[in-house]
Amino acid sequence: MAAAVKDINLDPTFADIDRSVHAILEPPGLRYWIWIGFLLTLVLIGAGLWTNQIYNGLQVTGLGDPVMWAVYITNFVFWVGIAHSGTLISAILFLFRTRWRTAVYRAAETMTIFAVATAGLFPVIHLGRPWFFYWLAPYPNERFLQPDFRSPLTWDFFAISTYLTISSLFWFTGLIPDVANVREVATGWRKQLYTIVAMGWQGSDRQWRHFSMAYLLLAGLATPLVLSVHSVVSWDFAMAQLPGWHSTIFAPYFVAGAIFSGVAMVLTLLIPMRWVMGLEDLITPWHLDNLAKVILLTSLIISYAYVVESFMCWYSQDPIELMTFHMRYFGPWGWMFWVMVLCNCLIPLALFSPRIRVSPVPLFIITIFVNIGMWFERFVIIAGSLAVNFEPSQWRFWHPSLTEMGITVGAFAWFVMLFSLFARFMPIISMTELKEGITWLRQALRQGYAKAA
Amino acid sequence: MNGEVELVGAFAFTDEERLVHCIEQLQAAHAQFRVFSPIPSEHINRAIYKRSSFVRWFVLLGGITGIITAFVMTIGTSLEWNLVTGGKPIASIPPYMIIAFELMVLFGGISALTSWVLLANLPTFEPLSGYRSRFSSDEFGLVVHCGEGDAPRFEAMLREAGAQEITREAA
Repeated sequence: MAAAVKDINLDPTFADIDRSVHAILEPPGLRYWIWIGFLLTLVLIGAGLWTNQIYNGLQVTGLGDPVMWAVYITNFVFWVGIAHSGTLISAILFLFRTRWRTAVYRAAETMTIFAVATAGLFPVIHLGRPWFFYWLAPYPNERFLQPDFRSPLTWDFFAISTYLTISSLFWFTGLIPDVANVREVATGWRKQLYTIVAMGWQGSDRQWRHFSMAYLLLAGLATPLVLSVHSVVSWDFAMAQLPGWHSTIFAPYFVAGAIFSGVAMVLTLLIPMRWVMGLEDLITPWHLDNLAKVILLTSLIISYAYVVESFMCWYSQDPIELMTFHMRYFGPWGWMFWVMVLCNCLIPLALFSPRIRVSPVPLFIITIFVNIGMWFERFVIIAGSLAVNFEPSQWRFWHPSLTEMGITVGAFAWFVMLFSLFARFMPIISMTELKEGITWLRQALRQGYAKAA
Repeated sequence: MNGEVELVGAFAFTDEERLVHCIEQLQAAHAQFRVFSPIPSEHINRAIYKRSSFVRWFVLLGGITGIITAFVMTIGTSLEWNLVTGGKPIASIPPYMIIAFELMVLFGGISALTSWVLLANLPTFEPLSGYRSRFSSDEFGLVVHCGEGDAPRFEAMLREAGAQEITREAA
C-alpha cells in the first residue's frame, strides 16, 4: 500500500520538535493576559446573568409553552457535537494508524474535554432549581426513589458523564510522556506541577509496555463510545412523538453533524493558534488539507440527511409532519433553515478546491460559517419543531432574551479561555506522537511503503 | 573487587535496529537491563517481552463488572419501585442495555488507567537508576546491571551496537 507523502515536513529532529513546543510554554506576555482578562470578563457576565436567573427563575428567559427547550438545549447539543471530533481524531484515527493526526490530536482532544465541560453546564443552567441536578444520578436515598432508566434523559446523563470521564482519561494518559519531557527543562512552580502530573514517568520499557496497551484499549473503548454518545443525544429528541423529532435517521445524522462541526471547530482553533504560536513547521498544509477533507465529506453526508429527512416527510404524506416541515422552510424562522443550508451544504463545497483546503484564511472563514450553520441546525431542529406543535392554537415562537444570549456568549468565552490557558501551560502538541509519526514516515519512505510527491 | 555496576549507554534515536540487536544479545547473555526511550517502540517491546501486557485482562474484568453493575442497578431499582411508565415492562431490558454499554466503557476505561499506572510502578518520585533527562527527548538509553568483572564484555556489546556514550556507575 503506497501512501502519498505530500507537504510533510520531515526535517525536524527530535530536539527541534522539543524546542518548538518548549517555546510555547515560555511565560506569556501582556497581550496574552489581556486576552484572558477579556474572556474572563465575558465569563463573569454570563455567570452574573445565570445568578440572576437562579434568583428570579426561568421567567427571565424567552422560554414558554410549547418552546420549553431553546437556546440552552441548543447549546448543549452544539457543544456535545463539537466534542466529537477530538475523539474521532485521537481514538478512531489512532486505531487506523493515520499519521497526520499526530500534530493535531492533542489540540483536538483538549477541545473535546473543554467542549464537554461547556456542554455539561447547559442542562444544569436549564433547570429551574439547578441545585437538584444530582437527582438524575442513581444514589441510595431514604425513599428508594431512582431515576427512570427507560428515559432518554437518564441515558444521556450516563452517556455524557462516561464520555467526559473516558475522554479525560485518554487525554491524561497521552499527556504523561510529554509532561515528563517538559518537566526536564521547566523551572520553579511549573517544574513542580509537571513533576506531579507526570507521576514519575521516565519512559522505561516496562512503563511503555503497559502504557501502549492501555492507550490502545482506551482508543478501542472510546471509538464505539463516541458514536453512541451523539446517538443517545439524538434520542433525547427522536424518542419523543413530536413531528420534526420523531425520526429514525437522527442517530447517524447527528453523529455526522457532530464530526462536521467538531472538525470545523478544531480548524477554527488551530489556524489562529499555529499563526500566533509560530507552529507552521509542525502543523503543515498537509494537516489542514486532511481536516478540510473530513469537513467536506461530512458536509456531503449531512446535506444528504437533510434531503432524506425532507423526502421522508413528503413520502409519508402525514399532514402534521408536512406542516412542520413547511413551517421549517417558510415559517417565521425559515431564514434560520436557509442560513443552515447555506453554511452547512453550500459554502463547504468550496473545499473541493485543493488550493482553498491548504489556504489558512479562506479555510478559517469557512469553518466559522460551519460553526454558525451547525448552531442554527440544532436550533431549527429543537426549538423549531417545538414551536409548531400538533395544535396550531398552541404555536408560539420563542424570542431571545438578554439572559440566554449573555449566557451563550459567556459559554463560548469559557471554552476559548480554557483552551487558551491549556495551550500556554501544557504541551498542546504531542511531542511523543509527532516524533513517532515522523520516524514512521521516514522509515516508510526508506522502505518504499510511501513515496514523496 | 567484585562489586555490582551499571553501564548506561546512550544511543541516537536512528539506531533502533542496532539497539534491538543489542537487546537480543544481552538476553542471550542473561544480563539484567532496562531500556529508556522517548517514543514507544514496538520492536523494543517485542524484543524484551514475549507476552502482551496484563492491562487487557484488567480492562476485560472492568468491562464485565460494568455490565453486571448496570443490570443489577437498573433491574434492581425498577423492581424495588415497580412503577409502570409508558406501558413498558418493569424491567425493560433493551433500554437498560444502553446503560450497560455506557458502564462497560466507563469501568473498562477506569480499569485501563488504574492498571497501567500500577503495573508501571507509578506514581513514583524516585528516579530509576541510569535515567538521563535526554532519554525523554531525543536519545535511547540502555542500562545494563552487571558484576564489575562482566562490565568490559557488556561495554563492548554496547559500543558495538552504536552507543554514543557509555558511563559506568556503582549499582
